[in-house]
Amino acid sequence: MANKSGKAYALTTLCPINDGRVVNDKGIECESYDKAVRRLLQDIPLNEDSFFARVDNTYFARLFILNDVFFQQGNDFQQDHLKSKYLCFNSNFHGELEPYLTQMWNDCEAEVRNVWQYCVGFNRVNTALEFITYIKACQLKTTLFFNGSNDESLTKQLKALYVKQMFSEFVLTQQGKSASETKTNFKYFLQRVQLNNLESPSWKPAQSELTP
Amino acid sequence: MSKQLDLYDIQGNICKGYGRYGYPKARYCFLRFDDPKQGRLFLLDLIKDITTAEAWEAKEDSPNKPPCTTNIGFTYSGLEALAIPQRSLKGFPVDFTAGMKARSHILGDTGCNSPENWDEIWHGGRVHAWLSIYARDSNMLESRFDAFLEQLATFAGVELLSGHRGPNGTTLNYQDASAVYDNGMPTGKEHFGFTDGISNPFFEGNGHKISRLAGRGKLMRDGSWQPLATGEFILGHVDEAREYPLAPEPKMLSRNGTFMVYRKLHENVDTFARYIDNLAKDFDGSKDLLMAKMSGRWPDNGAPLTLAATDEEKAELDSRIADLKYRSLEGDECAAAQLEQLYIKWVDFSFDGDKNGSKCPIGAHIRRTNTRGSLEHEKGAFDRPGALVDRRRLMRRGLPYGGIDEATADSAEQGIIFMCVGSSIERQFEFVQQQWVNYSNDFKLGNDKDPLIGNHDGKLTDKHLIQAPEKKLFEAAKAPFFCTELPRFVETRGGDYFFIPSLTALRMIAEEMIDPS
Repeated sequence: MANKSGKAYALTTLCPINDGRVVNDKGIECESYDKAVRRLLQDIPLNEDSFFARVDNTYFARLFILNDVFFQQGNDFQQDHLKSKYLCFNSNFHGELEPYLTQMWNDCEAEVRNVWQYCVGFNRVNTALEFITYIKACQLKTTLFFNGSNDESLTKQLKALYVKQMFSEFVLTQQGKSASETKTNFKYFLQRVQLNNLESPSWKPAQSELTP
Repeated sequence: MSKQLDLYDIQGNICKGYGRYGYPKARYCFLRFDDPKQGRLFLLDLIKDITTAEAWEAKEDSPNKPPCTTNIGFTYSGLEALAIPQRSLKGFPVDFTAGMKARSHILGDTGCNSPENWDEIWHGGRVHAWLSIYARDSNMLESRFDAFLEQLATFAGVELLSGHRGPNGTTLNYQDASAVYDNGMPTGKEHFGFTDGISNPFFEGNGHKISRLAGRGKLMRDGSWQPLATGEFILGHVDEAREYPLAPEPKMLSRNGTFMVYRKLHENVDTFARYIDNLAKDFDGSKDLLMAKMSGRWPDNGAPLTLAATDEEKAELDSRIADLKYRSLEGDECAAAQLEQLYIKWVDFSFDGDKNGSKCPIGAHIRRTNTRGSLEHEKGAFDRPGALVDRRRLMRRGLPYGGIDEATADSAEQGIIFMCVGSSIERQFEFVQQQWVNYSNDFKLGNDKDPLIGNHDGKLTDKHLIQAPEKKLFEAAKAPFFCTELPRFVETRGGDYFFIPSLTALRMIAEEMIDPS
């Protein structure tokens, strides 16, 4: 199975969480590591405030915990269980894996260390290169692509979405106007949206509402 | 053998829309049971007055037809207050248990629709019971209500709740509803001016004539119609998934009962009239056509756009009707039969010949709330063209209210008491409200909402798209028309979910004879 589709990359990783408990400042075991990780995930800000918004070209990213697999009821009573609890990290992005992870480490090292701190062996990760090696070791080969984007760069896709929104609104304001008036207004519209300027004006990464 | 239902065990409002059976006046009362025993005694006394679904004709002289109707339903809190066993209570579905207020995020009851803006009766604790009276005229309504008050007075601990907004700033202990009258005669209109309530589902065993089936049942692959499964509307019977709907134990508590949504929908008539007047200036067609393109039916007589999609076609239709009516009155039986056949098309139609919405816009009100076969985008994708809608049909039971204020402003007390019955509030009413009224993914219209009842806020993108008419030979293609900045025409003013028990179950509740073990 391919992790790549055109210029889009689908990353799926299962990072085992340490078996054991967090020890509090009084030296007492207080909660299992997977619970502590769950709490850390719940505290990650969403949308524009998420650290993934700072990692260029992220189409879609998700972190969740896989505790075990569930037994399918039926006549077959053989039950399978996972060997560990896992922190699952999925990301769909534009480009190659190594530069993506390098930027993720360089720009969001504190957040990455925080989220992965209870995963098996992560205490030995101290550089971008080691982060790449670690993620690759946990990677599954999948074709789980986010069905909501093409494989263009995020900047290009955000600009396209921005233009689509602005053009829809432009059309709604032109109803009943003469052809010449619409033509003039369209000229202003093109000046305003600056089709060839991908950076601005545009949607921001992880923007969760339409541009006002 | 076709299914036989015990119509004498089913409450009458489930099978009949009383407004269309010669009862244009209604009063809805809401009760609280402060003492379970007194509550049960009251119910025991009330059973004799409950109108059942027994078949009688709509015409005045039908011998079995009562002068007034009486029906009752309970909220989950009401059943708790009547001390129904816990095990039975826990068997009710979550939607009913939670009630309408708790489901406001699903229903789009936000902003001015949100519960804090509802009538006072819906603030605080939940009401316990809904009791409806329908009458042939106002005098009969008042005398039935007086009799009910007398009856109620003998049961301490059963309280009639107040807090309904009434006309001219009053607060009442009942909610009145009435057909809109024209020249002293009740009509099928609501206050925006649309003809409403034309097509309701037909299910197996409902006691209606089979001649009413076409357009109301489920559409089969060969174009014929079959009755919908009874279990779509009545508990204890098999539904369209060939399953029994989720219902509490014991079976006799739920069988022949159903759930009902009660919803007071205020209509901002002034805003609506001004919006239409203003938009009609830019629209290529009459004001009536513009209204029809929003609802899917012509406002004056309710003819669907699939039958007449332009002003010219409507004029032709009107003249055909006038001609057939005239000839019928002259005794021409052939013309009378043709007229009857024509009126069947008010209900018996599909959107097959109108896939692109050039006749009836894809986002029009009737195309959202009863999609017929239009969601089968590829022919043969489902077992039946309407497989997706057959489980989401709404049996509407409502009447307009108000319209007697002196003021004509939006604040004037008027709207629709929307009620609908079905065996799953979540699957039927809530789904339609959330996915088809306030969202458009299934119609490929993005975030657009129902132009009439969607919870719009007047933003530029709060819009309804009127697809362009079919391009005619040698004519230039026309542009689609956008209705933009749609304001909120309809506001929720309160409501809740009710269980409408069978007569058997009502007696079981009243006699404390429920044993779910």
